Amino acid sequence: MNPMDQELMRRYIYQVVRRLPKEQRHEVGLELEELIGDMLDTGQSMEEVLTKLGDPKKFAKQYQDDKHYLIGPEYYDSYLWFLKIVLLCTAVAVLVVSIVKGIQEGAGLTDSNVVQAVVTSAIHGIGNGIVNLLSACVGAFGAITLLFYIMERNKIKFEHKKEEQWSVQNLGESHTDKGKGWTPDYLAPVPDKRAVISRGDSVVGIVFIVLFCVLLIFAPTVFSAIIKNGDVISVVPVFNLEQWHIILPVFILSLVVGLGDEIFRLIMGHYCKPVMLSNIICGSVQIVLSFVVLKVFPLWNPDFAVELKRQLGGQIGPSAESFIDKWNGDVASNVLFALIALITLAEIGTSIYKTLRYQGKQPAL
Amino acid sequence: MGEEKDLLDSLLMELRRGTLVLSVLSQMKEKKYGYSLVQSLEGKGVSIDPNTLYPLLRRLEKQGLLESTWETGGSKPRKYYHRTPYGEEIYQKLKIQWKEMAEGTERLLREDES
Repeated sequence: MNPMDQELMRRYIYQVVRRLPKEQRHEVGLELEELIGDMLDTGQSMEEVLTKLGDPKKFAKQYQDDKHYLIGPEYYDSYLWFLKIVLLCTAVAVLVVSIVKGIQEGAGLTDSNVVQAVVTSAIHGIGNGIVNLLSACVGAFGAITLLFYIMERNKIKFEHKKEEQWSVQNLGESHTDKGKGWTPDYLAPVPDKRAVISRGDSVVGIVFIVLFCVLLIFAPTVFSAIIKNGDVISVVPVFNLEQWHIILPVFILSLVVGLGDEIFRLIMGHYCKPVMLSNIICGSVQIVLSFVVLKVFPLWNPDFAVELKRQLGGQIGPSAESFIDKWNGDVASNVLFALIALITLAEIGTSIYKTLRYQGKQPAL
Repeated sequence: MGEEKDLLDSLLMELRRGTLVLSVLSQMKEKKYGYSLVQSLEGKGVSIDPNTLYPLLRRLEKQGLLESTWETGGSKPRKYYHRTPYGEEIYQKLKIQWKEMAEGTERLLREDES
């Protein structure tokens, strides 16, 4: 083999092998070397041989398994729909937050006209928000894709198990003998209409989760009192922003768990034991995480009331002052926690009820 | 007419693909290396592209139907394949199926001709 042919062969093999999983590359490379050598021995030139073997891309494709996709056709439709809702929601929420922030920061306060001032501030906010918008959308896209990817992988595992069982038992049987393989007994009953989970049902949950996420990530400062004292604007945040870097991840984790649950419900399409289970698990996790955030972490700004009063100075009357005095982080935590627990328990209850009720109602075969 | 040819090609490919595993398994009682298999199949009127065969051999090995060994004694290292006992079992079963199928199809085609 002359150096020129050697180089051609090296290039060809590289083009095939680089498209394969790492652990296969070495051996496939050796195989190809053997093959090309054997073909050359029949008197063909290197060029003829490689032309016969054809496009290395196509050759590599023959070596690849078929599961080279993130989201398969079965979930693709739901995936796209989910993406659309979440991205739309994220984009709108981030924009609104940016506008509010812009107005809060009051970049346009120098304008004489009130409307003009607000508009200038809003535009300023949007300008600042563009980067947030992009990163939020990319983040949302990643989160959804990851969740669907996890479902997809687990589905494949499950189906492979089924296939293995099937092929070993059935290869020897003739086509007319269906007795031992799949039988109509395996048919799952058509779910009761009232047990079907529609996309419409999921929308509310998704929108809520996304809005909350966006608010928590981009606008912890939105939840704050803003006081204008002459030319000085001071902001007194409700939350404990110093600890925010600890609190936020837990918040987000809790919301992502909720999102995963929503995706799973939608994919299953009706209330059944797996949905019920996922609901119970995710719900419990969410309740625990909420408890951690609300009751364990220093969520609230401990100086909120004091700071607010100080900033307001004498501007307010005694009734307002006594109102501020009543502000108490613990009470707020309790109320919020009770609310979250109640909603989550209600959801779990619904899915348990629907699962048990409508699953039992199927006619026996 | 390009479309018609494409369609015919893809139908032919599908038809061939189904019989390929059986053809390959049939030749693997004695150990063979890839290109000798290409040639022996071709000599018997069954043509198969190397770029289909080599990946197929790997797949059959992964499924436990074939077993491979590298032999480094000759002028260059060669990978030899042969049927495993499991492959043998599957092959025998496939063979019976194939005969039934071929007879059935043959009957259908004859019926149409007469």
